[in-house]
Amino acid sequence: MTVSFRNLAARRETGVAVLLGLTVAVVAGLNPAFVSGANIRDMLVQCAPAAIVGCGLTFVLLTGEIDISLGSMMGFLAAVMGLATSSQYGNLPAPAGIAITLAAGTAIGLLNGVLVSVGRVPSIIVTLGMLTALRGLTELIMGGKWISGIPPGLRYLGTGTVIGVPISIWVAAVTVVLAWLFARETPAGRRIYALGSNPKAAVLAGLSPTRIKLFVFALTGFLVAVATLVGTTQLSVIESGIGVGFEMVVVTSVVVGGASINGGKGTILGMLLGVILLGIVRTVLIFLNLGETSVYWERAIQGAFILVAVLMDHLASRRKSAEVPT
Amino acid sequence: MNTPFLDINNISKTFGGVRALTNVSLSIESGEIHGLCGENGAGKSTLIKVLGGSVRPETGSVTINGQPLPLGSVPASEEAGIAIIHQESAAFPHLDTYDNVFVGREIRRFGGVVLDRARMKTETATLLARLEQRFDPRTPVGDLQPAQRQMVAIARALSRNCRLMVMDEPTASLSTRETGVLFRIIRQLKADGVSVIYVSHRLEEVFELADRVTVLRDGRKVDTVPTNAIDRAGLIRLMVGRDVSDARTREPSVRAGVVLDVDGLTRADAFTGISFQVRAGEVVALTGLVGAGRSEVARAIFGVDGRDSGTVTVNGRTLIPADIQAAVQAGIALVPEDRQRSGLAAPMSVKANLSLAVLKSLARVGIISDAKEDALAVSMMNRMAIKAENTEVAAETLSGGNQQKVVLGKWLAASPRVLILDEPTRGIDVGAKAEVYDLIGKLADGGTAILLISSELPEVLRLSDRIIVMRSGRISGELPREEATQERILSLAMPEGAA
Repeated sequence: MTVSFRNLAARRETGVAVLLGLTVAVVAGLNPAFVSGANIRDMLVQCAPAAIVGCGLTFVLLTGEIDISLGSMMGFLAAVMGLATSSQYGNLPAPAGIAITLAAGTAIGLLNGVLVSVGRVPSIIVTLGMLTALRGLTELIMGGKWISGIPPGLRYLGTGTVIGVPISIWVAAVTVVLAWLFARETPAGRRIYALGSNPKAAVLAGLSPTRIKLFVFALTGFLVAVATLVGTTQLSVIESGIGVGFEMVVVTSVVVGGASINGGKGTILGMLLGVILLGIVRTVLIFLNLGETSVYWERAIQGAFILVAVLMDHLASRRKSAEVPT
Repeated sequence: MNTPFLDINNISKTFGGVRALTNVSLSIESGEIHGLCGENGAGKSTLIKVLGGSVRPETGSVTINGQPLPLGSVPASEEAGIAIIHQESAAFPHLDTYDNVFVGREIRRFGGVVLDRARMKTETATLLARLEQRFDPRTPVGDLQPAQRQMVAIARALSRNCRLMVMDEPTASLSTRETGVLFRIIRQLKADGVSVIYVSHRLEEVFELADRVTVLRDGRKVDTVPTNAIDRAGLIRLMVGRDVSDARTREPSVRAGVVLDVDGLTRADAFTGISFQVRAGEVVALTGLVGAGRSEVARAIFGVDGRDSGTVTVNGRTLIPADIQAAVQAGIALVPEDRQRSGLAAPMSVKANLSLAVLKSLARVGIISDAKEDALAVSMMNRMAIKAENTEVAAETLSGGNQQKVVLGKWLAASPRVLILDEPTRGIDVGAKAEVYDLIGKLADGGTAILLISSELPEVLRLSDRIIVMRSGRISGELPREEATQERILSLAMPEGAA
């Protein structure tokens, strides 16, 4: 990755970072409360689950696959966690609840991976089915009731702080750093890029597409469980609507951050910038006092972001292929 | 007699009913450069993939230095010291050059957890210097020129200190200078005791480099001969086979009147100055080696791609470039090489496929008449002997040959003025081939001007009234059917120099 100004200017990360900086500057100028410590903390807490899961989804996209089951997976895992630990249901201690949630998340991710890589079903279909099925299953196991009585040990993950910083931000930071190192510095990370860059060549180079895909889907399931543990324990109850629309937030963030839906291209840094950009947009909409309509605006803007990002990606690759003399 | 370094024994491989290799045996000494020749589809690439482990043969064995090689495993082949430079692009465009060189066998540090980029970069730089390349090892391969990419593939193979290097058309994208560098490297490898299997259509290169040459034809080994005991013509004769019976069953049906007139068609980097005419009822073959630009010409005529200069005229009407609809309206139809992907509506019924090109004539006030469609489908099925349970089964459930008959039947029903057939019998069995040939004959008898693109010389000789041979994007010769032989076609198709 040759560092030159031209290269830097062409990178999606730079574009998103500039857009991010401009948005913050403008909004902060209009309302200084936007850059207050409390607001920034709230914003980062809101961003944390998407950043954690975004690490997994970046790798999924790098292999050329996609996972849109993330939101329902989070809802289902929250229900599993609640039912296992709530004083009114399983009443298991917090560590057991954590272990069960992480195991369940990994298992669901692995199931996605098996269907995609062994079953050869397109990942958009597998995870669309999973999106619907898990949402239904969540309603079923919760029986239409909210779950309360979450043990304090678990609530601490959502509400506690370490050196004044909420735990969810710590977890997100550690996950992002590890994922970044994994992507850049390890053979396994490099092979994920290679698989998405040219699947046929990957096979000829002795890589196993099946194993790599199983890994990225299982990792994503695991990370959804991590995000569930720190993201859904902020409130004292668990309701069945947790995670609705979450998959759109994560997919949009990753794609806006420069990952190609055709695989081979994308970075953890880009993903993180995408997550923060979307988080800022959400906060700005709240600051604008639009009331009810701010949710609708958020969706409209999210949708526009993903379309623009994919279009830019497409145009860039077309220009590139036009340049290459054949 | 000591045992040879590499011993390939009775390898057979079938792809979906088509035999790619039949009982191929071959042995190579250490430090030998061994040429591998054959026409397109003779089985060279499959044999290479068997050695590389990406294709597992049904029968046969391979031993290296007397050790049996586990077949069908890329890591096992690499472990045994086999490095392959594949013809198809095996590069990862998004990755940097040094990653491309080392992916799958990364240099690691800290107990194997972390990539040692510094070492991978310096080693890549050394390899590139050896290949006389001057670009930065950090350049993403997607930004490199084709020749540079080829050099990266060669660097990748060199990086593993292999004992057997297999090169599939390594000079296809190289200049003369780069080819010279490559030849020096190959001779150096030979001096170091490395064996090289060298596959090339450029026979001069084979004669220049190889100690012995093996010829494959139709998936079988024809012979292995020392290169100093054979000449170019002899080698071509081996590739073609002496016993080809040119069963010319088709009576010429050429009529007056040029239907398709291609004049000075040029597309930069693909083909230059292509001019020819096809008359009503005439079958003109456009042949040449893979990569000579045949399909590209077809695509430009049909308007899939644009053109830089030249004209395409159908029945006196000049076509707008890069406009498929204009080509279709003028009466051109194209049966693409890749029938599964672009010639057949695979999940739709045989009936729906057969009627697709003539739906308008089957419709009344915009509604398709079931009775007419059924009648058409049944008559086509019988006329073309399509083997299917009934007209309602999905086209994809048919065998390859029958699928191709459905595609041709679609056009037979529409009777286009010009029909372009790109490799119409690729991957279908001998019996179905004969029936497809009959169909092509019928279309010509009906007055359709046919442009046949085919690598299979017996097919070209059997069907065509005239044969146009392409070489590196240009027409290198034209032969009337009376004068055409496989040898003459091949010598027009083969590149003359090394570059």
